Amino acid sequence: MTATTWEDAPAVTTRRHRAPLARLLSSELRWIFRRPRTLVVLALLAIFPVIIGISVQLGTDGQPETSGDAPLFVSAITNALALPLGSLMMLLGLFLPLAVAMAGADAIAGEQSVGALRGWLLAPVVRGRLLGVKVFGVAVVAVVSAGLVALTGLVTGLIINGTDGLFTLSGTELSLVDALGRIGLAVAWVALQLLAVGAVALAISTTTEHPMLVVAMVLGGLIVSQVLGLFDALSWLHPFLLPDPWVSALPDLLRDPIAYDTLGEGALRAVSYLVIALSLAYARIVTRDG
Amino acid sequence: MTIRDVTQAVPAPEGSGAGTRPAVARTRGLRKVYRSAVAVDGVDLEVPQGAVVGMLGPNGSGKTTTIRMLLGLVRPTEGEVELFGQPMPESAESTLPHVGALVEGPGFHPFLSGRDNLLRFAAAEPLLPSNKIGTAVADALELVGLSSAANRRYKGYSLGMKQRLGLAAALLVPRKLVVLDEPTNGLDPAGTREIRRIMAELHARGTTVLVSSHLLSEVEATCTHVIVLSKGTVVAQGELGELLEAGNPTLEVITPDAAQAVDALRANRIPARLAPDGVLVDLVASPAPQVIETLVQAGVSVHEARRKRTGLEDLFARLTESHEDEAPVDLELNEVEQAGVAS
Repeated sequence: MTATTWEDAPAVTTRRHRAPLARLLSSELRWIFRRPRTLVVLALLAIFPVIIGISVQLGTDGQPETSGDAPLFVSAITNALALPLGSLMMLLGLFLPLAVAMAGADAIAGEQSVGALRGWLLAPVVRGRLLGVKVFGVAVVAVVSAGLVALTGLVTGLIINGTDGLFTLSGTELSLVDALGRIGLAVAWVALQLLAVGAVALAISTTTEHPMLVVAMVLGGLIVSQVLGLFDALSWLHPFLLPDPWVSALPDLLRDPIAYDTLGEGALRAVSYLVIALSLAYARIVTRDG
Repeated sequence: MTIRDVTQAVPAPEGSGAGTRPAVARTRGLRKVYRSAVAVDGVDLEVPQGAVVGMLGPNGSGKTTTIRMLLGLVRPTEGEVELFGQPMPESAESTLPHVGALVEGPGFHPFLSGRDNLLRFAAAEPLLPSNKIGTAVADALELVGLSSAANRRYKGYSLGMKQRLGLAAALLVPRKLVVLDEPTNGLDPAGTREIRRIMAELHARGTTVLVSSHLLSEVEATCTHVIVLSKGTVVAQGELGELLEAGNPTLEVITPDAAQAVDALRANRIPARLAPDGVLVDLVASPAPQVIETLVQAGVSVHEARRKRTGLEDLFARLTESHEDEAPVDLELNEVEQAGVAS
């Protein structure tokens, strides 16, 4: 508060002022990625594919190669194509959604719980814009989480098997570029699914100031959805469950040619969840008391 | 924070015609109902430009709810709010950049340092150019005396330091209005003096200050205007001195001839009554010089005569304890304002 700046204070007019969007977004990202628990979760996500790769490799290393299938099987899991995709598939069950649920919970409920949401509203960042900034932050977490898993899976696979043995489930062998393209597609698809989960987390986040509650509800809902998906008697319900295609979609990327049916349906469901959840979040945040 | 050429620091407000100064903040018929509880009801208040307005009231009297509606954080159930003559919360983007506020305690993230917390909010300040964020944050930290603790995590701050950081966030940008909700909570006496000094300096710069407090002495020491809330309604508002005067204009005359004095005054139709050391004279009908002249002419030896001012504490107690039976003391702020300008 130097004298000069206070003397230069502009007069109040009806002109609307907004902080530059890029500044808000970069500030949000700095906040997300400086949070210790975000970093811990990301580190665990990054390590997971390495652990799978090493343990599969160690588990089969000392065994005599009596069966001719074994080396192919092992390389199929630890190769630079299957390991990233397999890791994404396994982590998509719970751990990846946890990462975005936490991000969505912190984004609004977490800010509210320490009283920082008021700071944004008083600046002011209008509520719709604030939600946009928060969605961006969650989206970045979704992309970074999925990308990180794929990246360390890819690197681990390359270290263990090199560029050899990029087999598909159909038995054909792919070039590295082709494999990378499929991994990229998997990352994009998983990120979209995660963003849908994150949007649900944001919607719940706008209704509470307890971030733990948001995480618990999102993960609880996810588990319930996955359990409901197991029962054939509830097949009428399955098209409405977000995680329903998760298990079957990613292996389709390992086929030659890629089967896009389940992937496409999964993407459609994610977009539906995204639109509905963000609409609810918007409706709530504009009426919420700050 | 040094004051340089205060007159220049106060630019003429937009749309200020000759004579009346516009209210920086104004509410009409403000009402807020939470579920079934009425938090605020029928609040009409005005914050005159350049004033330091103290908002007083017991806990739960609606101070914070009123402030939150003023700032557009909460939508009123009924009534209107205007900041700088523009409706809230619709005009938040044109008005709030000029408003610094510390509401309901400081809100910061414990895992970030004080500086990083401020940098975060500075990024959201519309009137702060990107290349000035660093200096603005450093200046604000300096102003509240947190420079040396700037790089420590907020988690480790004392209550007083947290409060100071909240104040720093409110003062990141030159403001036209600063709203402080219980700013001295958790501060030691030195910290309280600092807040008073900052408020005085803001006042000197022409910044309007609205401060809520339950500490009466604080308000009496720093404010030019007072708004008293009780049970969600305004029971008094106006210029501090006027309010105190309006409370109980009485002259206390110390004299050994008390009975004679009362008789003399009553003969002249001046209401008076006995007091331990003399008489208490009601000044509603006649001014003090006339009272003393009457007494002296009647041969009463006047040892001492002083205007008995109601303390803010008395006024506050009277207003908040029994306001339901009394008509509210409501001064016309415009008149008060003009009187203030003329003096």
